[in-house]
Order: sequence, then structure tokens, then C-alpha cells
Amino acid sequence: MKKRIFSAMLIAALICSVTGCAANKDTEDKSVTLTLMGKKSDLQKSYMTSIFNQYEAETGNKLDIIAYEDAEYETAAQEDFKNGNAPDIFLHFHNADLSRFDVSENFCYLNNEKWINDLTDGAKAYCQDKDGNILGLPFWENSVSGCYYNKTLLNSLGLKPAATQAEFNMLCQALADTGYTPICWPANGCSWMLQFGLDPVFADDPETLEKINNNEISYSDIPAVTDMIQWIADAADKGWFGENYLETGWEQISSEMASGQAVMTFIWDTWFYTDFEKDNKYSVDDFALMPIFLNTAENGTYEGGNLNMMMVNKNSDKKEEALDFLDFCATEKNYNKAFDGISTVNCFKGQNTNIQSDMVTEAEKSIKANERVSTAASRVVGYSADDMVAALDVLFRKKTDVKGCVKLMDEYRIQEAKANGADGF
Amino acid sequence: MKKWVGRLALLMLICIFGIAAILIGTIYFHFISQRIYEDSTGHLEEIYDQVNHSFGAFVERNWGLLEGWDKYIALADSNGDNTVSDFIQNEQKYWGFSDFYFIAANEDSMSVEGVKESIDLGEEWSRITEDKEPVMAGSTLSSGKDVTFFVIPTEHKAYKDFGYDAIAVSYTNADMASSLNVNAFSGNAKCFIIHSDGKILLSTMTGGNVYENYLVYLKAASDISAEHIDALRNDWEAGKSGLLYCTIGDVDYSILYQPVGYQDYILLSVVPQSVISAGFLSVQKTTTNVMIVLSMLIGAAVIVLLVMRYRKMSLKSRMELQYRERMFDVLSNSVDDIFIMLDAQKHSVDYLSPNIERLIGIPVEDARKDIRVLLNCVMNSDVVVPSSVLEAIPLQGSISRECEYMHQTTGERRGYRMTVYHMSIQDVRKYIFVMSDRTMELQMNKQLKEALTAARSANEAKSNFLSNMSHDIRTPMNAIVGFSVLLEKDADNPDKVREYTRKITASSHHLLSLINDVLDMSKIESGKTSLNVEAFSIPELLDELNIIIMPQAKAKMQKFKIHVQGVVHEQVIGDKLRLNQILINLLSNAIKYTPDSGEIDFTISELPQAAQQYATLRFAVKDNGIGMSEDFLEQVFSPFSREINSVTNKIQGTGLGMAITKNLVDLMGGIINVESQPEKGSTFTVELTFAIPEKDEGEAWYNSKVSRILVADDDEEICLDIRELMKDSGVTVAYSTEGAKAVDMAVKAHEEGKDYNVILLDLKMPGMDGVQTAQKLRERLGSGVPILVLTSYDWSDIEKEARQAGINAFMPKPFFVSTFWQTIKPLFSEEEARKKIDEEAAEKAMEGRLFLVAEDNEMNSEILTEVMAMEGAKCELAVNGQEAVSKFEASDVGHYDMILMDVQMPVMNGYDATRAIRASAHPEAKTIPIVAMTANTFAEDVRNAMDAGMNGHLAKPIDMKAVREMVIKLLGPSNKSDSNKQGDTK
Repeated sequence: MKKRIFSAMLIAALICSVTGCAANKDTEDKSVTLTLMGKKSDLQKSYMTSIFNQYEAETGNKLDIIAYEDAEYETAAQEDFKNGNAPDIFLHFHNADLSRFDVSENFCYLNNEKWINDLTDGAKAYCQDKDGNILGLPFWENSVSGCYYNKTLLNSLGLKPAATQAEFNMLCQALADTGYTPICWPANGCSWMLQFGLDPVFADDPETLEKINNNEISYSDIPAVTDMIQWIADAADKGWFGENYLETGWEQISSEMASGQAVMTFIWDTWFYTDFEKDNKYSVDDFALMPIFLNTAENGTYEGGNLNMMMVNKNSDKKEEALDFLDFCATEKNYNKAFDGISTVNCFKGQNTNIQSDMVTEAEKSIKANERVSTAASRVVGYSADDMVAALDVLFRKKTDVKGCVKLMDEYRIQEAKANGADGF
Repeated sequence: MKKWVGRLALLMLICIFGIAAILIGTIYFHFISQRIYEDSTGHLEEIYDQVNHSFGAFVERNWGLLEGWDKYIALADSNGDNTVSDFIQNEQKYWGFSDFYFIAANEDSMSVEGVKESIDLGEEWSRITEDKEPVMAGSTLSSGKDVTFFVIPTEHKAYKDFGYDAIAVSYTNADMASSLNVNAFSGNAKCFIIHSDGKILLSTMTGGNVYENYLVYLKAASDISAEHIDALRNDWEAGKSGLLYCTIGDVDYSILYQPVGYQDYILLSVVPQSVISAGFLSVQKTTTNVMIVLSMLIGAAVIVLLVMRYRKMSLKSRMELQYRERMFDVLSNSVDDIFIMLDAQKHSVDYLSPNIERLIGIPVEDARKDIRVLLNCVMNSDVVVPSSVLEAIPLQGSISRECEYMHQTTGERRGYRMTVYHMSIQDVRKYIFVMSDRTMELQMNKQLKEALTAARSANEAKSNFLSNMSHDIRTPMNAIVGFSVLLEKDADNPDKVREYTRKITASSHHLLSLINDVLDMSKIESGKTSLNVEAFSIPELLDELNIIIMPQAKAKMQKFKIHVQGVVHEQVIGDKLRLNQILINLLSNAIKYTPDSGEIDFTISELPQAAQQYATLRFAVKDNGIGMSEDFLEQVFSPFSREINSVTNKIQGTGLGMAITKNLVDLMGGIINVESQPEKGSTFTVELTFAIPEKDEGEAWYNSKVSRILVADDDEEICLDIRELMKDSGVTVAYSTEGAKAVDMAVKAHEEGKDYNVILLDLKMPGMDGVQTAQKLRERLGSGVPILVLTSYDWSDIEKEARQAGINAFMPKPFFVSTFWQTIKPLFSEEEARKKIDEEAAEKAMEGRLFLVAEDNEMNSEILTEVMAMEGAKCELAVNGQEAVSKFEASDVGHYDMILMDVQMPVMNGYDATRAIRASAHPEAKTIPIVAMTANTFAEDVRNAMDAGMNGHLAKPIDMKAVREMVIKLLGPSNKSDSNKQGDTK
């Protein structure tokens, strides 16, 4: 089902506008066509098409876009690399599962590119491998995952946000005492919460990450994992997730938060601009951000956004032109034009045309102190968010205890790792 | 009634006592609780007074220190920067504050090390600048850390060129909280320093604080009303102390507030009420527990006494009840009537007599649980009484049903008359089922019916019997009478006389056999037949059968063959006579109903042994005769049954033979089966089990002389059968299917010096027959080796020729080991040879004997006298037992050799006469042989004769061979001459 999108008409139009349909001979001679491979839905983002158009218009070069359906992307791309059909530029969602593509053999390390210093720390972290090599240029809408709380409601209750796990516990109990649901916990199918709690466990201790990926230890051997699950079980028992958390799913988060039924939830800032219910009791302005507390980090944690990055094929005969394309994208003028009006946290320090939420801006200091790269979901071999939800569901329904839940998490993880043919499993 | 009144009064007394105890306990508990709570609250206030006091001292101390340091700094400043810095650092170490600040009028500040910091003390700053008062205020530093400042105003001075109007020390909130911590409530108390508007300056909560404004929080989270919140705010603003109770979440709290005394700060203590009382709870609990235990003990003692009394009373009444129930159970158990009482509403079982398990086989418990289990046992479902019928029975009324139940364990059926009474017992309606056992009555009726049917059948059978007998007896009788008339008429014509005599004899024999059969049948059917069990030889039996049957078969030119298959046990114990009778019946029938030149095969085989002491033999008689129809097969064993067709009509028979045979087989515990097809023949199979006698060790003698034999027979199966039969004897059997080859084998063995001990030759073989083979053998081997001829034919015709050819003896087919030993015994034993000579001499045993014959029938005595005379013996006759006794007593010693005694005689029967003779004074009374001579031939007749003192039993009609054998047995060979005795004739 390989589908190629040739933006021939668009390119032609751009060429016309830039060259007045009278491109001279030199331009024609120097122009190159770069192949760029990505997921169909990713390539259709407005800031992506904007930067592609700018590039073609300003350089006279062409981009041959190879777009795969999302579900087929990983497999089809691997096939292309195996069969010698690798593109010049390859888009991949940060560094997750890159092991399938033999990074050192196929891609350039971009450590010395001039745009490195313009990357925000959080964005840079997402594009590094475990040895600190920069693998790609992050060019994507960014977000911050944290504990978003209803500050208006909190003020009205004479309460303030928590800065420590102990304070968060206190806050949850104080909220529960007032009759509110402290945390909106969408246990019905929503799978991202646990990875926030596990990030500190693996991001703060790379040795633990290495051991679990070598199958030398399991979750059961990591006390912090059991502590987290125990906290979640206790929170559920104390009513901190409300009464109907088992039925609460993605669809219900917005209404619970906007109505004030629930005071806090673990989510990301852009959600407020894409999915948050309008015309309800509370609006975006009523919310603020504090760290996520899941009993794995005393001062809480934030998870930075999951970014798409552009990687350059090391073996391409157009490697230099591909690197130039990345330079073009990382140029302040170009990216500001591309992200103009887009709600996102900055990836580049010079980004100023995008819309960054006040919530993130207000919590900037706290984010800087406590943000972690998405480590659990992307770097723990065999990690499956859905499996984690399944294990937790068994616990919530009292069909197992905390120990049993952690054991289940391990079983699912090892099964997944085996299914993926991971080494050591 | 009186008893109930007493019980009611007692119950009321207990209730009153219980209620009083509960009331007193509750009041006491309330009183104690109240007192304890008051004490606890007092204790709380006391504790927080101390906390407030120590916090005040802490505040005062800091302000005091600042005042002292201000003076010191003012003096020391001129001495250089480091002096102040060192001093402050030393003080910091000692007093534990976080930082020391110089604060300018615009709230800019600088630490003693010169680090700038912006402080926001809010409204409190005006107290310093305007009122010149020391203050305590909270602020958040640029690092985000919440701290509390203690500030005093100073003269405007400068430190390191930084102009300041106040100096301050800061404490982190955690450090501050430690000064407020109260250990008295195990860390469960929360302590706050708040502004009068509710804003929290400090909190003692572990891990921090999320309460920003406690008044707002209380409003939102507690059950305190808005009016009370306003009142509380007023109290706080007015600097009042107080205590309030509220519930936050599910927890009850005591909140104590009291002004700190500085600015408008208030010390707020929030303690769960359960914690306040915790210290006193054990006392309360102990007291309460003691009270409860005491009450319980008293109560228990009272209850025990009451229970004991009640149990004594109820035990007595229960004993009485049990006694009555037991009595009734015993009574009902000893009768065959079942009693059931059902509650008319619930249909539950109130009473069930225990004999139900014995009579119907249903466990009592099962029936008690659900009486409907009885329905499973009812044989006639039409008598089941549905609920509607039960309910229709009027009170005091009843209904009855006859029913039959089957015992669930034994399957026995019992008849009952079930009567259901509808009664009211103590105003409760009951159904009482009385099931009266009528089994005996029903059985009796049934038996009567059966007896009636049997009587009718017997009568019918008798009529049939008489009809049949009348016909069957008349037929030969007609012939006898008719030919007797003709005999008289043609007495002068010897040919006709012989012809009539022969026919009269034949008719007489038929009549005799008919009478014998009828008597046999009658005897068997009346159960009076018993078996005379003794050891006998199968080969002998077959030999006798062969002698009887072979001539009959020969007469009809039929092939009669006897086959023996695997008969290991040739000696068995059984009634040989009856077995003989069975087999003769079967074989005679086979001959009778098989046309001329037909074939009759008689096969005897031994079945696998079921037990070591028993052998089961199968006798099969197969013919290719007229066969029987399928319908007739069903009644072939019924008396007087004969298939009626053109063939059978011409064959004489009583129709009792098969019935007798079947009855005899049944009597011997055997099985008889028949398979037959019309025009194809019949096969009768009889299987009988016999006991095996102990083995005759005498055979061992022959074993030592015979170890190798040679068999020559063209039928290899016979050769192999002989080898198999001889296997156990240790004798090696070599065989050949040709005479010539047998000669070669024998010659070879002779030349090797290993002669066969015996050579067995089949008479009829293709090529060289038995006689020719024997001749050759004698030519080559001489006379040393005994040669026997094995044949199923009568060898009398060829005996002379065979003997001349060198054959030593003949052996009948089929081959039996015992017959073989018997045959070769004389050839190896001189003693046996002598015995043979004696036997020949014994044939003359009758000569010269004198018999006293007691016989009331003149014809019989005449015949006997004549026949005896032919044997050389004489008879003296007596017409009854008395005369016989008289003649014996009057005789000389040695006069009579033997007495032949008829049993049924007038005046005195044979038994009594024998007893009289044995009891007489005659010298030979005890020794004279007396032999019964009677038509009563059954085993018990023989036993009766022996019991009466007789020595033997001869069946009528008299067979001289049997008489001779009896004489030899009792008297031995005769050495008397005819002249020795004088016989009388009547």
C-alpha cells in the first residue's frame, strides 16, 4: 500500500511564484530532489507542509515525499532500509524503537550542527541516544505533561498546589474532605499515566534502565515501581479518583475537569486547546500546572513532549543536501513562519510566533527543575501502555494485590519483548 | 397454665433486670465519657497553652537577639566586614536560623555575606517602618523557598554601603514548625500560626502545607455553617481564644484557637477528637470492660441457673416424650404397619414410624425430609393420593386405598391398605396415614388362586394323562390279548405259535417299557427320585452303550460312530445308571428317527475344568434323521409330546422319553439342548458335571513296563488323540498312518534294541490292514512285542484269523487310557491271567445252589424256578413273607444258599420278613444272604432293602446275568453238585 504523495502541482506553483515561471538554466541545473519519508498523518501537519513549501520555494530543490499509512509505517520503512530504498531524510517519532533501524549504520550523528545550541534543553533531550549523540532535528509541536489543576477551585477552598509528594497527598485528602474528586483518573483505557510515574525511575537511574532492558531485573525488583502501584491502589481506595474512575475514559476527562467535578488530572498542555470542553463552568484560564506525583519522585515530575525528528541517511549520496535541508528547517525565520499561531511549547529558543500556554509559562521554573524525558514508554523494552492499563485494571477490580499487579506488568512486558525479538528475552 | 404464668413472670424479671443493667451501664458510660472528654479538652488547652508560651518565648528570643546584634553590628562595623560576618555565622550555628538580613526601607535586603534578596513582607512592613514595632512575617524567597522572618526596626544605618532600616533573621518553615510540634498526640495534631483572616503563616504538618487559608478551607470542607465561620473570623480578629468542634471529611476534630500575642497571629490547633481521648481511652475501655464483664458474669450466673432449671424441667418432659416416642417406635417396629403424620398445611412430616426402612427400604431420614420419596416405591401409581384429594377429606373423615410398595433394597413387594385420616390435634390439622400390611393376606389369596389354577391344571393333566395312557396301554394290551386268543386257537400250528409268541413278547416289552417310563416319570415329578452316586468309568459306560446301541444301528444299516475328544478324566463320580438311561434315550431316539443307512455320531468331550475336583463332560448325539419342526422343539421335553407326521406315526413310543431325560438331566444339575431342522437331523447336547475320584495309583505299575508304544491308524487325529491322552502317563507314543510304515518303524526300533513295548493297530487301514500288518510284524519281530488291534467293529468274526496272525488282544474304539491299561494288564501280569481263569470258573457259580424264593405271584415264581433250573439251581417257594420266615426257621443249617425276597407280599412283606429272619434264633439268621427281588428299583428302594437287613437288590423282571453276578458276589464260585440240594416246588 505504498502511497506516494507527489506534490507536483504545489511544487510547480511554488516554482512559478519564486521564479516567475522563468527559472533560469543555472537553477535547473543545481536543483536536487531529496526523498523524505514519514507517516501520512505527520506529513499533513500544517507546519510540516509549510516548511516543505518554504524549502522548495526558496532553494529550488524538490522534495519527493514518501508517505506511508500510520499503521504500516514502521514495517514498510524497515523494508525500504533493508532493500536499499532508504530515503535521504527519515522522520521518526523521537528516539523510540530506533533500534530496529540500526542507527549507527544508517544515520548521521548531528552533534556538530550549528542549530544544536538553538534547541531547548527538553527538545534536545528527546533527540539524543543514550550516549548523548544528537540523532535528528526535532521539528514538531511540543507539549508538557504534568498535573493540571483547577487553581480557581483550589483558591476557593483555601488550598494551594503541592510541591512535594507529602503535600500532594495532603492536598488530595483535603480535596476529598471537601467532597471533590481530587484526581480525574481515566482508568477506562487511558494508558499514559503510569509512564509519567515510571519516568523518574528509569530516567534518574540509567543503570536500572539498562538492567531491565537486559532482562537482568524486573519491575518486581525495583521498589519504586511497587511503591507507585501501592500509592495508586491506596489512592483509589481512599476515593481520590472518585467513585466512577473505572468507567472514566478519554471522553469523560474534559467534562469532569471543566465542570469542576474533578480538580486535577495528569495530562499535557495542548490537550486544553484540542480537547478541553468549552462553555462549561471552568475555562483554560482557571487551570495551572504542577508536577505529577505518583510516589516515585519526592518533588514530582513532568514529561516533555513526544517529538518527531528529521534524520539524515548516512549512506545517501545527497547527504550534504539533506543536512542543508535540516539547517533550513532550523533557521529562526523559517521555523517561526512554519509554527506561526501553533499551540506548542518551544523546541527552539528563538521560537516566538507559536502560542505557549500560560500554564506552562507560569510553571517554567518548576518544569525546568523536574522535567524528564519520556523514558519508560520509549526506552523500556517491551513497555506497552495498554498492557499497563490491563494490569492496573486487574488490581482496581480487586482480582489481584499490588504484588500481583506488578508481576502482571512484568509478564506483559516480557511477552511483548519476546514478541518483538528483543535480545536477552 | 400455672407453669406458663411462672415462666412469663421469670422472663419479665430477666427483661427488667437486663433493661436496668443496660440503662445503668449507658448512663455510667455517658458520664465517664463526658468526664473523660472534659478532662481531655482541658488537657488539650493546657498543652497548647504551653505551646503558645514556648512559641512566644521563641519569638521574643529572636527579637531580643536581633536587638542585641543590632547594637553589636553598629559597634563592630567599624572594626571591619569580617567581624560582623563571623559573628553572625557563629550566632547562626548556635541559634539555628537560616539567614541574617539587612533590610532597606524599600524592602530590598542583603545578607551578611552581601547577597541581595528581595523580600515581600506585605502589610507587616508598615508596622516596622511606621509603628517601629518588631514583626514576624512570612515571605517567599526568589529561590521559591517559604520562610518566616523575625524583623526589628533599627536606626537607618549602612552595612557595606547598603543602607538599612531593619534587620531580620529568617527560618525555614520546617525549622519553625519544629518549635510548634506537639508530641502529646503522637504527631496526629496539626498546628498552625495563622493570620486573623485565616491565611496560614506556619504549619507543623509533615512534608509541608497545602492549606493556604484555613478559614476558607474550613468553610469549604467542614460542617461549620457560614454564620459560625463569620463568628469565628470575628473571634480571631478580636484576638479571642476558643474551642470548636467540627467534622471534616469523616473525621471529628477539636479546633483550639488562641492569640499568640504578637501582631494578630493566632495559634490554631487541629486535633482529631479520637486522638484527644486516646490517652484516656484505655481507662474508659477498662472501666467499661470491667462493667460489662461484671454484668455479663452476673447475667451469666442468672442465666445458668435459669437454664439449669429449665433444662432439668425440659429434660424431664423430654425424657417422658422420648419414652413415649420410643415406646411407640418399638411398638411400630414390631408390627408391619406404617404410621405417618403430616402437617396439613406444609405437608411436612411430624411423625414417621421407623419401620418404614425395614418394610419399604427407604431411610427414615430421607422420608422425613421429603415424604414424596414414598411415591418412588409405589407400584400401582393409580393409588397415589394427590393433594387435592387430601384436602377434600373432611375433618375427622378418612379415605382408604389398596396399594403395593416395592422394597427399595430387596425388591420385595408388599401390599398395604392405606387409610388417611384428617384430624385436628391441638387446633392444628394433620393427615395421619396408617398403612396396614396386607402382604400375607394378598399372598395367601395369590397362593389360593395359584393353587386353584394348579388344581385345575393337575386335573386337566390327569385327564390328559389318563387319555394318553388309555390309548398307549390299550394298544399293546390289545395285541397281547388278541394274539393270546389267536395262540389258543392256533396252538397246533408251531409256526403261528412262534409268530404269535414273538408278537406277544414284543407287545409285552413295549408295555413294560411304557409302564417303566410312566413310573419313572411319576417318580421324578413327585420329587421322589434320588441319585445313586458312585464312581464309574466312562469307557465302561461307552462300552455298555455300544453293546446296546450298535445292534440297533446295525439292524437299520446305520453308521454309528463314537468320538472321544480330550476326555482326561475317565473315572468320575455320578449316577451311572441314570446317565446310561439319558444316553440310551437319546441314542435310541436318534436310531428310531433316522432312516435306514443314516448316520449317528455320538461325541463325548470334556470341557475346561471350572474347579479342580470336578469334570464337565459334554455328550452330543447327532443324527441326520427326520429332524423336528421349530414348533415342536418348544415342547420336545414335555410329557406325551410326539410330533405327529407320517413318519412318527409308524414309530412306537410313549412320548415320555425326552421328558424323563430332561428331568434326569435337571436332577443331575446339567443342561440339555437340542438343535434340529426338519429333514436334516437333530443334535442333542447334554452337559453334566461330575466329581472326580482320587487317582488310582495302580497304574504306576504298568508305567514301569510300558514306556514306548507304536500306533498305526489311517486317521491321524486318532493317533494324535492317543498321544495327547497318554501324555500324562509318561508313555511316548510314535505313530504311523500306514501299516507298512509302522512295520518299518517297529523293525528299526527292534534293530536298535529299543523295541516298542506295545503296538496298536487299526483294523481297517488302506493298503495293509491291521491283520496283515500284524502278520508282517510277527515275521520280522517274533512274538516278543504285544500287538493290539483297535477297532470300532465287532471283532468276533475275525478273532480267530487275527489271533493266528499274532494279535494278542482287541481294544474297542474309541481309545481310552483306562481301557488300554485294562487290555494290556493280562499281557504283563500273571496274577491277572489267573484271575481270568477264575472268572471263567465263576460262570458256573449257580450250579447246585438252593434258593428260598418268597414270591406271591405264581407266574413270576414259576418263571424264576424254570430259569434257575436252566442254570443248574433249585428253588423252594414261599407265597408270602411269613411262610418264608417259617421255612427258613425250620430249615437245617446250610440248607439254603440264599433267600430271594419279593418286597410287596400279602401277610408279611419282604422287609418285615427279612427283619424276622435276622431276628430269629436260626444259626444262619445273621449270615444267610437275603436279596430283594422287586419291581421297586429306585435308589431308596435299594436303601430300604439294605436297612431291613438284606444283602442285595435285584430288579424285576429278573435278569439271570444280574442274579449270577449277585450270587458270585455274595457266595463266590460254586463247588457244589446238583445232588447236594433238594428243592421244593409249591
